[in-house]
Amino acid sequence: MKLSQGFSRCINLLRQFQVAKSYPNPCNERSFVLPAIPNIFLSFCRYYSTELQPQVSSDLLKIMEQRLVAIEHRSAFLENFINQPEASPTEYSKANKELRKLRDSMDLISELRTKQKEIDGLRTLMAESSDDKDMLEMATEDLHKALEEEKRLQNLLLKSLLPRDDADERDCILEVRAGTGGEEASLFAMDVFKMYERYSQKKGWRFEVVDIAESDLKGYKEASAAISGSGVYGKLKFESGIHRVQRVPVTEKSGRIHTSAVSVAILPQADEVDVRLRNEDLRIDTYRSGGSGGQHANTTNSAVRITHFPTGITVSIQDERSQHMNKAKALKVLCAKLYEMERSRLHTSRSKLRSEQIGSGDRSERIRTYNFPQGRVTDHRVGITYHAIDDVMQGENLDVFVDALLLQQEMDAIATFSSAQ
Amino acid sequence: MLKLRLPGLSRGVCANFRIPNPCCYSNSVSSSIDVKPKVPLYLRPPSFSASLSELSMWHKWAKNLASSVGSTFVNLDNGPDSTLLHRELNWLLQDLIELQHHSEILPRLESSNNENLDVRVALRAPLEEIYCVWRQRIEERRPFQYVVGCEHWRDLVLSVQEGVLIPRPETEMIIELVEDVALNNSPELAQGFWADLGTGSGAIAIAAARALRSHVNGDAGCRVIATDLSPVAVAVATSNVQRYGLQDVVEVRKGSWFEPLKDVKGELSGVLSNPPYIPSDDISGLQAEVGRHEPTLALDGGASGINDLLQLIDGVASMLKPGGFFAFETNGGKQCKFLVDYIQNEKPGRFRDINIVSDFAGIQRFVMGFRL
Repeated sequence: MKLSQGFSRCINLLRQFQVAKSYPNPCNERSFVLPAIPNIFLSFCRYYSTELQPQVSSDLLKIMEQRLVAIEHRSAFLENFINQPEASPTEYSKANKELRKLRDSMDLISELRTKQKEIDGLRTLMAESSDDKDMLEMATEDLHKALEEEKRLQNLLLKSLLPRDDADERDCILEVRAGTGGEEASLFAMDVFKMYERYSQKKGWRFEVVDIAESDLKGYKEASAAISGSGVYGKLKFESGIHRVQRVPVTEKSGRIHTSAVSVAILPQADEVDVRLRNEDLRIDTYRSGGSGGQHANTTNSAVRITHFPTGITVSIQDERSQHMNKAKALKVLCAKLYEMERSRLHTSRSKLRSEQIGSGDRSERIRTYNFPQGRVTDHRVGITYHAIDDVMQGENLDVFVDALLLQQEMDAIATFSSAQ
Repeated sequence: MLKLRLPGLSRGVCANFRIPNPCCYSNSVSSSIDVKPKVPLYLRPPSFSASLSELSMWHKWAKNLASSVGSTFVNLDNGPDSTLLHRELNWLLQDLIELQHHSEILPRLESSNNENLDVRVALRAPLEEIYCVWRQRIEERRPFQYVVGCEHWRDLVLSVQEGVLIPRPETEMIIELVEDVALNNSPELAQGFWADLGTGSGAIAIAAARALRSHVNGDAGCRVIATDLSPVAVAVATSNVQRYGLQDVVEVRKGSWFEPLKDVKGELSGVLSNPPYIPSDDISGLQAEVGRHEPTLALDGGASGINDLLQLIDGVASMLKPGGFFAFETNGGKQCKFLVDYIQNEKPGRFRDINIVSDFAGIQRFVMGFRL
């Protein structure tokens, strides 16, 4: 089951790259993984479709080898440089900083070089001892192990060379908003919000409701949550966009199917340092009805509103039991919003970025359709349809989409990596 | 008194609110010196239970009771409206039920799902008592914080009970003044004696102690003395200090203002206080939660409300060491200005950097400064 799911994901992805077209029988898994097809995407894809050690294609290997040699040279040059007494303190610390950055790659590279020497040695040994059957057998076995190990190191290196989004490891803020479709959209916004809540629980993440604005029928006009755990933003970031629902609303008497939409935003969490928040840019106020306050009033309402002057963003939080906690939560949301603004400003000023390749990265892009009468969920970016909608809504099989989107991100990165040579 | 027509479900449970009823934990305050602080609801053992259907029935009743209020209290004396009471009801439930069961039980009470209605739910108080206290909340306007026995204040959860002022959200800012003004300008103030006068629940003393401690990375030399005239306050503050494991940092002393601090005269690094500041004539018109239930001792500041504040200013002039910091909460702009004038005219050359600070509602709330 798992295997074929991963497999079908690959097929869909490959279709996007126009690779599967040339392939006669995409349903035959055995022939699918034949290494005869000289395509870097295809061979990397095997990693996801089987439990085997991934095989980096020879084209990609050549490109990577050039990079590795360059890193080795740079590292040797820097080592040499910092050992010279005439280096100025600033030059020294600059070189040292760069060396530290290269260190993880260098450790892997030297491990790989040792392994490659071992492989050469074993091959020589096998050539020399073609008469000694026991020796040959032993050497073959060792060679097999060493080759597997080499592949493992190559994969690790490839991953470490691919551009990374520094925000991937961060926690995130989830925002779900009802869009077109009135009450029905609010009810679906609640369903989607709860889907992420269950998914987070299943992943062992902490899901903390920040604020919920209910609609008349107890749906959610707007809801937000802070999700924390390992790699949360990296996993959820592709959930941003318009989620469309097609179903017969509970409010509909005649049984007609309606289409409505909710928008989802996933923002990486940030702190006040990340966004260089300045006290003088903030106004913090309560929005309680007038009165003398202080000892005159005993209220459990400790709502806080924060206004950020430069951007005009306001965040109001009221559900915590102390003003201090309401304020802390409001600041958390504000920082995430400012951080996201800064990131998207950087994104647009840079050239084509990976995250933009998956869909437009535009919040207004329709990314997924939940069709209840047909019991299916379709992601329009990877072209995957999953036929157990209830499982998805229960947070059970959201991974079908999350994993496919991550895979596509990785493949986009490899494409960028190889075309950049 | 306001008469409300309320759906009666348990008239018999708590028939007469004026007579202390053994089912309720809201008996009038004992006048004896030996006060035993009450345990807040959320810290009591879950040794009671009710079926899910009984709990749902109570919840429906309590919600209707809250809804029937509408904006009556708002119009009457700026009291709580239904929305706020519904939120309090959720918090009451949170405190009543064990944390690990919140996610299954709380949504069930809102849904019309009829499965497993006879499943037992562990509770921290008998359901009859919860009927009773919610009725008190609405009909007697008993403050919510007394009902659950605690107040969430800053990042603390403090025990409170009748006889102790419930710490206000505005007062949280005093701790920011300590951190951002006092310790930022004079980090050495973190070590040495601080005082919280009229400590009540101990809120300011406990939060200040935690702020001082985080400034010196440990307890080294941080000391806070909290004073209060009321034996109930002394007992409750002492128990809150213990709950936060600060008995080596915060010492609670019984007595009026500086009177129990003679041994540290002229040595104090800081003095903080939220003294009574409401003019006597305003007491009778206060919001019912405050006027009918909170201790007048902690509210009534004399004819103009400023008696105690003036006494505090006189006191800090001699009790603070040179460079020492003070911050006091006041009734608002007029009192703030009066105090600043008083300091400038009556205590010339004794203080520096006297400032007025507004709360988040924009009301000039605090007066602070340093002793020269």
